Amino acid sequence: MMSDTPLLDIADLRIAFRADRHTTVEAVKGVSFQVPRNATVALVGESGSGKSVSSLAVMGLLPPDATVIDPASRIRFDGRDLLALSAAERRALCGKDIAMIFQEPMSSLNPVFTVGAQIVEVLRLHMGMSAAQARRRALELLDEVGIPDPAVKIDAYPSQMSGGQQQRVMIAMAIACEPKLLIADEPTTALDVTIQKQIMELIARLQKRHAMAVLFITHDLGLVAEIADHVIVMRHGEVREAGPAQQVFGQPQDGYTKALLHCRPSLDARPWHLPVIADYLADVEHQRFAGGDIAEGQGVTPLHPLERQRGYGPDDQPLLVVNKLSKTFHLREGWFGKREFQAVKDVSFTLARGKTLGVVGESGSGKTTVGLTLLRLHQASGGSAMFDGRDLLAMTPREFQAYKRRIQIIFQNPYASLNPRFTVGQILLEPMRIHRIGADDRERTAIAHELLEKVGLPAAAFQRYPHEFSGGQRQRIAIARCLTMKPEILVCDESVSALDVSVQAQVLNLLQDLQDEFGLSYIFISHDLSVVKYIADQVMVMHRGEVVELADSDQLYRNPTHPYTRALLAAIPRHG
Amino acid sequence: MIAYVVRRLWQMLPTMLGVVLLVFVLFNWVGGDPAFILAGKMANAESIANIRRQLGVDQPYYVQLWIFVKQIASFDFGLSWATGEPVSHIIATRLGPSLTVLLPLTLLETLLGIALALAVAFVRGSLTDRAVMIACTVGMSVSILVYIIVFQYGLAYKLGLFPVQGWGESFWENLLRYATLPVLIGLAVSIAPTLRLYRSFVLDEVGQDYVRTARAKGLGERRVMWVHVLRNAAIPIITHVMANLPALLIGAFLLERFFGIPGIGREVILAVERSDFPVIKAITVYVAAATMVFNLLTDLMYQAVDPRVQLT
Amino acid sequence: MTAIVHNVSPGLWRLAWRRLRADRVAMASLAVVAAFLLMLVLSASGLIVADWEQEVGVNYAPPGFVGAAQPPPAEPAQAAPTQPMQAAPAQAVPPQPMQATQALPDNPFDPLADDIRALRAQLAAGGAGAIDMYGVTDPLAGDLAQLRGARGDTSAAHAGAGRLATLPFGADKWGHDIIKKTIKGGETSIVVGLVAALLAVSLGSLFGALSGYFGGVVDDLFNWFYSIFTAIPSVLMILAVAAVLQQKGVATIVLILGLTGWTGPYRLIRAEYIKHKAREYVLAADAIGASHWRKMFTHIFPNVSHVALVQMSILVVGFIKAEVILSFLGFGVPVGVVSWGSMLNEAQNELILGRWWQLTAAAVAMALLVTAFSLFTDALRDALDPKVK
Repeated sequence: MMSDTPLLDIADLRIAFRADRHTTVEAVKGVSFQVPRNATVALVGESGSGKSVSSLAVMGLLPPDATVIDPASRIRFDGRDLLALSAAERRALCGKDIAMIFQEPMSSLNPVFTVGAQIVEVLRLHMGMSAAQARRRALELLDEVGIPDPAVKIDAYPSQMSGGQQQRVMIAMAIACEPKLLIADEPTTALDVTIQKQIMELIARLQKRHAMAVLFITHDLGLVAEIADHVIVMRHGEVREAGPAQQVFGQPQDGYTKALLHCRPSLDARPWHLPVIADYLADVEHQRFAGGDIAEGQGVTPLHPLERQRGYGPDDQPLLVVNKLSKTFHLREGWFGKREFQAVKDVSFTLARGKTLGVVGESGSGKTTVGLTLLRLHQASGGSAMFDGRDLLAMTPREFQAYKRRIQIIFQNPYASLNPRFTVGQILLEPMRIHRIGADDRERTAIAHELLEKVGLPAAAFQRYPHEFSGGQRQRIAIARCLTMKPEILVCDESVSALDVSVQAQVLNLLQDLQDEFGLSYIFISHDLSVVKYIADQVMVMHRGEVVELADSDQLYRNPTHPYTRALLAAIPRHG
Repeated sequence: MIAYVVRRLWQMLPTMLGVVLLVFVLFNWVGGDPAFILAGKMANAESIANIRRQLGVDQPYYVQLWIFVKQIASFDFGLSWATGEPVSHIIATRLGPSLTVLLPLTLLETLLGIALALAVAFVRGSLTDRAVMIACTVGMSVSILVYIIVFQYGLAYKLGLFPVQGWGESFWENLLRYATLPVLIGLAVSIAPTLRLYRSFVLDEVGQDYVRTARAKGLGERRVMWVHVLRNAAIPIITHVMANLPALLIGAFLLERFFGIPGIGREVILAVERSDFPVIKAITVYVAAATMVFNLLTDLMYQAVDPRVQLT
Repeated sequence: MTAIVHNVSPGLWRLAWRRLRADRVAMASLAVVAAFLLMLVLSASGLIVADWEQEVGVNYAPPGFVGAAQPPPAEPAQAAPTQPMQAAPAQAVPPQPMQATQALPDNPFDPLADDIRALRAQLAAGGAGAIDMYGVTDPLAGDLAQLRGARGDTSAAHAGAGRLATLPFGADKWGHDIIKKTIKGGETSIVVGLVAALLAVSLGSLFGALSGYFGGVVDDLFNWFYSIFTAIPSVLMILAVAAVLQQKGVATIVLILGLTGWTGPYRLIRAEYIKHKAREYVLAADAIGASHWRKMFTHIFPNVSHVALVQMSILVVGFIKAEVILSFLGFGVPVGVVSWGSMLNEAQNELILGRWWQLTAAAVAMALLVTAFSLFTDALRDALDPKVK
């Protein structure tokens, strides 16, 4: 039967990149999988897994001179081997029978042409429509993907639209010629959680209506649980597991798949330590964490039987009391006018010693500004922050200098928060030099080595440069940097958001261990509700600069009172 | 938009004032006493004092400054110290010849630069690309003086294809006969740096995500380059051309000098050789003003060409 | 988590050096630049060409490979194998018998032509003695030689008759060795380029750092200066300052170029500082308590220094070219100092006489250095900040 042959059949795909004249790097090492007609296939993997590279190979978008595709590889689409086609034949397929949408819609749309012009272009090229016909069809498409007011928006430029709308436009462009296969490469990663949900639903709807196959690429296994018919898991350029979604989620065979499924903090359980990837895989080196009881070795490690309890109790001492914190930005507009933008408005909360306060919100909610203002990296416009009997926000900069040691921050981007020209040793010694910790550099070096061990990095890291470390390792260095000053409060500003799921778990475990050992208090800022539920005792939900709900962690997730909180929780993808 | 223009004009004032001050300090203070220069060899105390009075340099500085400002505002800088010709007349008459060379040169250079840059971008990374880039570097390393001397000698003097020097009366004669060789030489000199610059603009665009999307839509490479990439690369190209126009007025000074073209650049050289301060001051102030106005025009045009830009 | 395996940890500069080493063109250019710099040092310290001012050759002595009394010149283009544009004049210049006694070509319309010819024949028959560029004997040559001898001047150059008929690459109007002039001229041009570039980059970087880091009033002030200096085209600025400063000299040019050229580095360094100031590692430095100066110089500057270095390299090239033009126009080096620009100035008139060697020497030497320096600058920029092709 025609419908039994897979629409896309990839066999033994091997792709290597030429880094320079002498070295090639293997990105895809013999990958085979299939996409049946009229089905959604999720291709899941972390960074470096080769998932994007494989899909770009299908579309023929890899740079020709730097890419080496093994001649034995086959990419069969509808029976034809794409790799054997000429460039012109391939071009005839792209945009018509196979279409692709990308992760960053803002940069993927041409900024100087209107949205309508870009959709019309693909219609006229592949379907041979006249300008008027194409424009009519473009209007229909914009309407179908849910763009409000399509007659006006068709002449808008991409820069005049929001991220979610831009992605819808990309989708409209992709389905314009009724493709048989739609490849979606991390289409929602750059979007807010609520928008993410809408786009996912849109893709699912379109898939059914147009009876097309969808290859959905993502790093988030949980995200595709609701829409995928089949799941393929990749790691380091190889396929680890493939099968129907129910089977992969229900009875995963491969250790890596199990790790991906379990390393993510779930909303239902709160283990003492999050399982890490090493618990499931034999080939990954292990690191001992302070205070942990994870044994080195093979196989599945029994987790601590007790679950963590979270929440503020009557014995908790308030460490930081913030009252009506506000921050307004001023922008210039018009002749001499100014526009005000209230990023943070009347935010109040209490942080107890040794506990974690989670701050949750989408982009633009002001959560990051709260953290930066407490550290006086931004100047607050109003409010107070009482710490140890003094108002942090009212002090002079000189007075605050002494307090800088006691409240520290870990930033989101591990690639930007370490000075690329400093060695790790210099990074660690710098705060000690500034605050005159330790009598001389020898003592400081000793302290630095102690801390490196504590965060699970080898002593040799001292002489290395940041670019030699992975994202997770860099966050550890950032944590070690903060620890040199023995702070009492640590602001974690989306500190694990840029990390792969497996690495995320490790860093969260480390943070937890440090809290257990040193009694640190955390203000944990994140948009990821599952992570926040796991690590926070109390959770503060922010929306457009204001606190909409503040409650103990379990309480908030069980009985959210504010409608916005409910919407956020509803948007979390659940396992099938 | 009007608010933007007004605000920009307002912001230009301190800069203009600064230019006036700088020119004033340079010429009226650092420049020394012009009376000695002008009095010539047979100077006695009386003639020097006379000249000083004529030029007004015996006044205190703030009075001199005020006179200078008045001159700028009224477009009257008095007479050239060397030839006695009214400075404003000098500038007005020299502008035409300069533009006769400048405008064709700019036009040809831009068009040729764009076409070559796109062609080279087609084959980026290949040996051809590398060879062309090295050829450009070599081309740029030879002094413009050598180009002019050699071409003037070879094509005009020896082969007689063009007039060696000179300028005519009618516009068309100037354009077609006298301006041709200077324009050709100017083209030869500027094509290498222009190509390098435009190539970098084009390559910046080729690496963008929207090019990947265009290819994913199945567009041919030619359309991708000539429609998608060019339209985006045109933005920095146009801004570059527009912003540099006033500087080009002076920049052609070598061509004008060698070929005897009575333009602004040559006038500046003559004035420097003869210490003819009023001419230099006037040209400096007006070119500075023109540069600022052109910068504003460039920014306004930027908004028209790039939909992402919102000038507030 | 994988273990870290290599032994020496490469910082930015070591990595860049590795990349440069792998680039053949870059290493070749570096070698050429190093050769020129070596020549510069030797020349400046007087170890070579200290005697460039001696008039060792006859006026307009042709190069040795051309020959003193040979008909068509061999391959003048061989002297400049990488200069395609030299081929044109080499063909356009008709071969002329290059004799030391070559006089100006006869002007057929000169009414005195016959008389002059007769006079010449008379004088030539009359006696040897010094023959100057017009082919006329100097009747006082003998007396002059005697006087000089009496004074004890044993310099062969002044003996008149002891002058060489050909030099390795010819002589200029006064008989100076072109090769020595080229080397000495190179010293001037390169020194001006290097020192002026250093001055411009230092000023520009300092201003840019202060401006970009502090912003506010400091930024406004420097931006005001910047807008003034950039409103006036740099050529005009240089010429205006040259007009005003009456005393000429190498120091003057260096000052002119340096004080007008700071705007390029300023803009770039300022942009870099603004960019880096917003980066998280600077926020982190702020959070750990670093002071403003510490952040500016200890933290940010190492991330910006490669930009300053590339800027300097670009400016050296630009300033060498500018110095040549200035000296050509007469606004650059004073009369006694030789520069490639002054050589080109002289060469202008010589070309019509058919003497192309000074032009070629100066043009080729300059082109060689500037090409090598430019190629090296490109390679340096790529090595310090590689972009994916």
